[in-house]
Amino acid sequence: MEPANEGQPSISASSMELDAVAGAGGDVAKTSVLPAKPKFAALTAKEMDGKVQFRKVSVPPHRYSALKKSWMEIYTPIYDHMKIDIRMNLKARKVELKTRSDTPDVGNLQKCADFVHAFMLGFDVADAVALLRVDDLYIDSFEIQDVKTLRGEHEKRAIGRLSGKGGKTKFTIENCTRTRIVIADRKIHILGSFVNIKVARDSLCSLILGSPAGKVYSKLRSVTARLAERF
Amino acid sequence: MPYVRSCKIVEAPPSPRLSRASPMPLAAGMAPNPNPSGGVEHETSPQALEAVERLRSVPPPRFLSPSPDLSRLAREASAHLFASLLPVCPKSLPLDRLLTDENFDAEQIWHQIELQSRPLVSTIRRDVRRLEKMGPEELLGVEVVHEDRKGEEEENDLGAEENDVDVEEEDDMEEDEEDREGEEEAERDAGKSELGYLEGSEEDGDDDDEGSEQEGEEDYDEDEHLIENELYSVGNDHKNKDSDDDLFARYEDFYGGKNKKPSQSHDRKKIHHSSKKSELDHEENESPGGSDADVHNTDDGEDFDVQDNGELSTYERQRKELQLKIEQMEKENLGPKSWTMLGEVTGAKRPKNSALEVDLDFEHNKERPPITTEENTADIEDIILKRIREGHLDEVQRAPKLPTKAPKELKELDDTKSRKGLAEIYEEEYSQKAGLAAAPLSFSDEQKKEASFLFKKLCLKLDALSHFHFAPKPVIEDMSIQANVPALAMEEIAPLAVSDAAMLAPEEIFSGKGDFKEEKELTQADRKRRRAKKKRKFKGRHIALY
Repeated sequence: MEPANEGQPSISASSMELDAVAGAGGDVAKTSVLPAKPKFAALTAKEMDGKVQFRKVSVPPHRYSALKKSWMEIYTPIYDHMKIDIRMNLKARKVELKTRSDTPDVGNLQKCADFVHAFMLGFDVADAVALLRVDDLYIDSFEIQDVKTLRGEHEKRAIGRLSGKGGKTKFTIENCTRTRIVIADRKIHILGSFVNIKVARDSLCSLILGSPAGKVYSKLRSVTARLAERF
Repeated sequence: MPYVRSCKIVEAPPSPRLSRASPMPLAAGMAPNPNPSGGVEHETSPQALEAVERLRSVPPPRFLSPSPDLSRLAREASAHLFASLLPVCPKSLPLDRLLTDENFDAEQIWHQIELQSRPLVSTIRRDVRRLEKMGPEELLGVEVVHEDRKGEEEENDLGAEENDVDVEEEDDMEEDEEDREGEEEAERDAGKSELGYLEGSEEDGDDDDEGSEQEGEEDYDEDEHLIENELYSVGNDHKNKDSDDDLFARYEDFYGGKNKKPSQSHDRKKIHHSSKKSELDHEENESPGGSDADVHNTDDGEDFDVQDNGELSTYERQRKELQLKIEQMEKENLGPKSWTMLGEVTGAKRPKNSALEVDLDFEHNKERPPITTEENTADIEDIILKRIREGHLDEVQRAPKLPTKAPKELKELDDTKSRKGLAEIYEEEYSQKAGLAAAPLSFSDEQKKEASFLFKKLCLKLDALSHFHFAPKPVIEDMSIQANVPALAMEEIAPLAVSDAAMLAPEEIFSGKGDFKEEKELTQADRKRRRAKKKRKFKGRHIALY
């Protein structure tokens, strides 16, 4: 049957269809021949609940200007590919996401929210976009003091150790493990697949605990070689 | 000794010896005596003196050959001297003149001279002793007389000796005495100081114990010694004591009787002491007094070598030497030993560098290290330089190990910010897995690869040119990563699902040993063991995350 009202739930329509079919069949004559099984397309977000879902991601002040700069890079994939509405609430300093009627998957909204959140944490857009494209990427965050309680100079030195000179240690880990790392003062965020996050996290923890960079490199080398062999 | 007893011997019958027709060759030179009676008339003094003078003036070598003139001269001179000395003689002699006939042998004449001179000498000695006791001032007054006496006696003796030389050489000792007589006369003639001369004569008096004929020392008056010895051999002790009271020191002189101290006779000892101690050691002990002194001296252990008259026998001499030696050895034994005799001696206990002088004997078991001298080092350095120039080094060259498989490329850790975004990386990864994209090249730099390839080609050509023997083209192992990508994908573009033949061999995918069980094949025990192992492994980890 034709879906007369779009707002009406489709179940009722389908049930009505069934009833209609059943009724029609009954009028003519009660026969044993059943009709073909129907095939139903996935429910859209709209059809499922019929409600619009929202996500709101707050923007930290230090990412405000970066957001402004790379707004279009964020907007395009979300709006066009993910089919999620996105807007920036300037007053509240939040990015709001909303499902549309043609949003294919409910999960898209969450992905987009994650993506925006990743950007807010400090990741690049190019890196954060991987969240949209690859399914099993996660962000792992922890603090330095979760690993070891460091006070004063030790903490500063630990942060320095993590980054390395010009950030080379961090980049080494990133390149080896195919992750992205953001060190924000005391917080550390790792973006990547589960296994890779683990490896990166191990390296970072060993660095926090005090092992020298060379040692970490050698370990990285062996681990990644092993990982590469498997695939 | 036969001597004529009668005083007047002018016409005395000749002794049996004289009747000899002088068969001795030395007497051949003598002319037959014109006066066979054997009596020589007493010549007038001037004639005799002249004879003496003439004798003296004769050069000595002339005496060696026999000549009758010289013999006659000598006899005359001796007779004159004998006569002149006669009044001075203390005793009355059986002879009143010297019988110097031609028939008389030199020996006989000699004996006659001796007859006279012996007591004379003793007298003179006594006088000299007396003079010694007197001071030098007194001596000056009386010296002239002594001197004359001494001189006359010597002249007499000299003449007799000259006679002897002419006639025959009887004893070596006499000749020695002659020499010494000559020395003495020479001394006198040389004009020695009178005191000195007297001292010399005193010494002569002292040395009457010395001079054994055999040993031949540098004594001044051997003749006197001979006389003395002869007298002693007779054994006339009384005579000795009387005449030689002051000349020969006795025990009492040294030790002043049995109970007196030896120090009293010290002065006398010193006076009598001669500078030649060796002479005393060699003295023959003729007098009993001397022997006593000897014995007592050794007992006391004092200056036993100061002996004027005691002549020691050989035995006593040897004993003395032994005693000396014994004393010396005892002294050595008591004193500290030299370091060589002590047991273990450290360097501090012995004088510096003393071990070098001593010939130490110990075994060197180890070979000495080679001493580097300039020559050695020069040789070695030459060899080294030569070798370096030639390039002929003794290096150990390892045999090159052939690689069993292609060398794995070590992934270089890139520490720069990756240009690709994460999304792109995953995209590429996916596409590789899916087989949509080709495997990336392992070398980071294309140019590097090309360069190495070119160089290898060049090396190959150069080696072929330089080597004498043919060398085949070497296998160039290119380093390349064999990705485990399906072979068909590499070679041919075909959909993924068609073939799953992989590029890598199974062992290249996974190289492991042992019994490898699948997950499903593990038994309960295996699983438990695995879990326990895992727990043990991760027990110590302090990472408080996940």
